[in-house]
Amino acid sequence: MTTDQMSAYIAAAAAAIDLPIAPEHMPGVLENFERLAGIAAQVDAFPLAPENEPAPVWRP
Amino acid sequence: MNGLHELTALDAAAKVRSGEVTAQALAEAALARVAAVDGRVNAFTEVTRERALAEAAAVDAARAAGRTLPLLAGVPYAVKNLFDIEGLTTLAGSKINRDLPPASADCTLVGQMKAAGAVLVGALNMDEYAFGFTTENTHYGPCRNPHDLTRIAGGSSGGSAAAVAAGMVPLTLGTDTNGSIRVPASLCGVFGIKPTYGRLSRKGSYPFTGSFDHVGPFARSARDLAAAYDALQCIDQGDPAQSAREVEPTSGTLAKGVDGLRIAIAGDYFESHATPAALQARDIVAAALGASRRVTLPQAQLARGAAFMITAVEGSQLHLPDLRTRPDDFDPLIRDRFIANALAPAAWYMQAQRFRRWFHDQVMHVFETVDIVIAPATPTHATPIGAPAFELNGAQVPARPSMGLLTQPLSFIGLPIVAVPVPQPGLLPIGVQVIARPWHEADALRVAAWLEARGVAQSPVVNPV
Repeated sequence: MTTDQMSAYIAAAAAAIDLPIAPEHMPGVLENFERLAGIAAQVDAFPLAPENEPAPVWRP
Repeated sequence: MNGLHELTALDAAAKVRSGEVTAQALAEAALARVAAVDGRVNAFTEVTRERALAEAAAVDAARAAGRTLPLLAGVPYAVKNLFDIEGLTTLAGSKINRDLPPASADCTLVGQMKAAGAVLVGALNMDEYAFGFTTENTHYGPCRNPHDLTRIAGGSSGGSAAAVAAGMVPLTLGTDTNGSIRVPASLCGVFGIKPTYGRLSRKGSYPFTGSFDHVGPFARSARDLAAAYDALQCIDQGDPAQSAREVEPTSGTLAKGVDGLRIAIAGDYFESHATPAALQARDIVAAALGASRRVTLPQAQLARGAAFMITAVEGSQLHLPDLRTRPDDFDPLIRDRFIANALAPAAWYMQAQRFRRWFHDQVMHVFETVDIVIAPATPTHATPIGAPAFELNGAQVPARPSMGLLTQPLSFIGLPIVAVPVPQPGLLPIGVQVIARPWHEADALRVAAWLEARGVAQSPVVNPV
């Protein structure tokens, strides 16, 4: 994602969950989202098999 | 009587049982110590004087009536301020929670401590909503490291570690989601245990990241740590993540020493993300234990990343209503992170949760041939309060998230770990993680007690000046 794409995503995702972001908070939000995206890219690049199920177990 | 604040919890309880000291005297000594030194440390956010004196009086009355006193009778303790204490508002380090009503009951663990005869002295400072490794809390002020008051105590259970290190109380309770017991234990030079995920009840503690939230005690001796851990065990349907395993006391196993335990060193990631001082602490422990074999926990860096992602999503979603309506009431040190994290796509989160399964299975293979793995608890010693970065392998890394680099991959899969303090003359403390396979807390505590008995692990009371 480019920085512009990231800014657009932040605005759209925030609207989708009804989370207003004050202009003075945006630089910090963008910086933190860039860090999160960088980490996501590393984890997402790791190939997983279908049997690698999510860890949480529901015990009714 | 002088020096009561330096007693271990078990020695203090023994003196109460024998009649050498009253619980009231212990409570008053703890309150006096808090009054004398906490103005410099800032570990406490609330002192529960009346409750402490009432609980102490009840212990003394029980003794006078000839009743058998429980294990921790008369022992002063305090808890991170995210644990419910009846009659107090559970702050969880925040300004926002001040609007909540007082807790109507004690959380499960405070109830366990009370049943064990311990005496609650107060509530302790922490990072807001447990989201941090430094306890630089903007609302309540930073918790200062008793070894050097210009430096952080670590976090998020910084008050819990600092209160024990400074001899204000011999036992405290904290929580550990990504390292929040082990990091401050390391930086303040005390013992701490993060049990297996699901071992101790979290009911009545303010949550952060349900997938990784753990609770556990701090102490200045391994025996005290085991005694507190034993006292805290119970079966509690009130925590949906708690295991139905029977209570498994550990104190009686400590005398076994380390015979029969296969001990290895965590290599690769756990060495490349540590400073020479941290590796030296680990080497001291490894040499004492005769451990030389190295094992690799594969893809530990991705484990840290996946833990970061799951924490980001679960932690922020919990606070979404307040982020929408009152963002400026959050600690500015974490507000923008919470907002950014609330926007992560579900695909990132699910990949991280599935990776967790993969990593767990790989690490369980490692534990087929070893019983204990050791690694530094923090990459470096305590950094100055306010420092934005520290040096790691020649690069500047952001201080606040990076102090958990070595703890995060392990709580990610819920392993039981004891952080042991390894004093090095002239240096600030750095602890070492003694990591066991799930449900084998006793193995890690045996190693901690063995190291303490040989003087390798020690936690003397520090006078904060």
